[in-house]
Amino acid sequence: MKNTFLKLGLLCVVLTAGAWRALALDGAVVIANSGVAADSLSADALKDIYTAKTKYWDGGQVIIIAVLPDKTDAALLQASGMEASQFKTFWQRLAFSGRGQEPKTAADANALVALVAANKGAIAIVPTDTALTGVKKIEIK
Amino acid sequence: MKQTAHKLILSLTATILAAGGARAYDVSLSTNLPPIDFHGFASQGFLDSSTYNYLGDTTHGSFLFTEAGVNASLNPFPRTRITAQAFTYDMGQDVGKYDVVLDYASVEYTINDQFGVRAGRIRRPEGIYNSIQDVDLARTFVLLPQGVYDARWRDFYVSMDGGEVFGDISLGKSGDLSYDAFGGVFRPQVDGGLGKKIGNQVPSFVKLDSFGADPQSGLQLWWNTPVNGFRVGATGGYNFDLNFDTTAFGQTSLNHFTVPFVQGSVEYLWKSWTFQSEYFTYWVDPANGGSDHDDAWYADVAYRFNKKVEVGIYYSENDNDVNQRANPSQYQKDVALAVRFDPTSWWIFKVEGHCIHGTGLVDQSSNEPNLNSGKPWYMLAVKTTISF
Repeated sequence: MKNTFLKLGLLCVVLTAGAWRALALDGAVVIANSGVAADSLSADALKDIYTAKTKYWDGGQVIIIAVLPDKTDAALLQASGMEASQFKTFWQRLAFSGRGQEPKTAADANALVALVAANKGAIAIVPTDTALTGVKKIEIK
Repeated sequence: MKQTAHKLILSLTATILAAGGARAYDVSLSTNLPPIDFHGFASQGFLDSSTYNYLGDTTHGSFLFTEAGVNASLNPFPRTRITAQAFTYDMGQDVGKYDVVLDYASVEYTINDQFGVRAGRIRRPEGIYNSIQDVDLARTFVLLPQGVYDARWRDFYVSMDGGEVFGDISLGKSGDLSYDAFGGVFRPQVDGGLGKKIGNQVPSFVKLDSFGADPQSGLQLWWNTPVNGFRVGATGGYNFDLNFDTTAFGQTSLNHFTVPFVQGSVEYLWKSWTFQSEYFTYWVDPANGGSDHDDAWYADVAYRFNKKVEVGIYYSENDNDVNQRANPSQYQKDVALAVRFDPTSWWIFKVEGHCIHGTGLVDQSSNEPNLNSGKPWYMLAVKTTISF
């Protein structure tokens, strides 16, 4: 009886720990401007940012999304639920109706990191092997 | 002024092309203020139709199909955004005529994800496309289903002076609910699309003099369901006093109407597929009694093959009078097939064919051939857009 309860307890611990395992984007990590207070985001919170439901960080700083076209499309799909072309159209609709700002783009990963470092409130998804100079990594839970 | 607007469009186009592409432009005001973010677009189209002229002198081919806009956006304070867009367009020389308008100009304050306020001249939210119906780069098709999004009504239907409250409310495992409650006034123009429509419906000895400001309020809801990419929308609104003056035989008449409207929308984005359908209906109720009930609907499917090619097809129906659905001069049924090319991230090109039955949306005051024939007629639409 004791062994049974022990096994059930261990099973619960394992299952619960699995639920809190960090979400790994496909070959990419999330970075933000070093002035951003958050060190981690839930997957839902990340999606809310990439789908314009959340437009400001907790302190009121506008969230500036920066993207690297073609290089992180799989991770962008995981983050936003949208294919790259759908994501682009989604934000164009907001920008040209006065309801949002189009994400900024960069030509390569190093330029994207520099863009995020230079813009308060910026957030981006970069390939895993990118040098993260001047930015912070955001853990996605 | 119109030639100036046309020249500005050409200059904008040339500048973007010379720059070798499009990227947003940031202009820094000072070290303490955030930069202003600029975006813009310029579109040029061509329409050609058989049998009937539609959206211009199209039986002879018409290049009078141009749109351009430039917008600026700034976040000067926490949770605050100021944005504005100037816009000019021309469609068939009857509508738009390259008048440069302040398309929107608003101040927005977002308290949290659940509540924000926007005031000024705003783009009116209704369905999938109303707030962006003249933004060619934000859709597959050259022409949106015209019964639901009539391009000739753009001058009064897209923007309004007023405000809205908006936000997203989590429904837990049931997704979330986005809302936009708006109110304000429309300002139709005598030489705009609505003015022309009214002019076509009154006897030739009646002259439309002026419109008054038309107050309207409404609510747009979107249920973003737990199924990723699937959402359901509903819009309801009420025009409290669509009013205009007319003169006949030296006598001026004041005309007042109320116009309630409802629109339902469904959209599903699944992998490279897009599925959409909408139904729109409204009643035009004169102050002295009676009612005119119109409706329209469409369903479309689009598929993106790769970064550069997307194909779409839609079927749409418009009925000017729900009690005359069998009358070819009162309905318009349209099958459209479009191919969109994206040669670069800032340049798109579209080719689209239409097979149309009925003439419900054709200008019925002009010398068009038999509007009751019910025989199919065809339209070709070609358009290119650059953006930054």
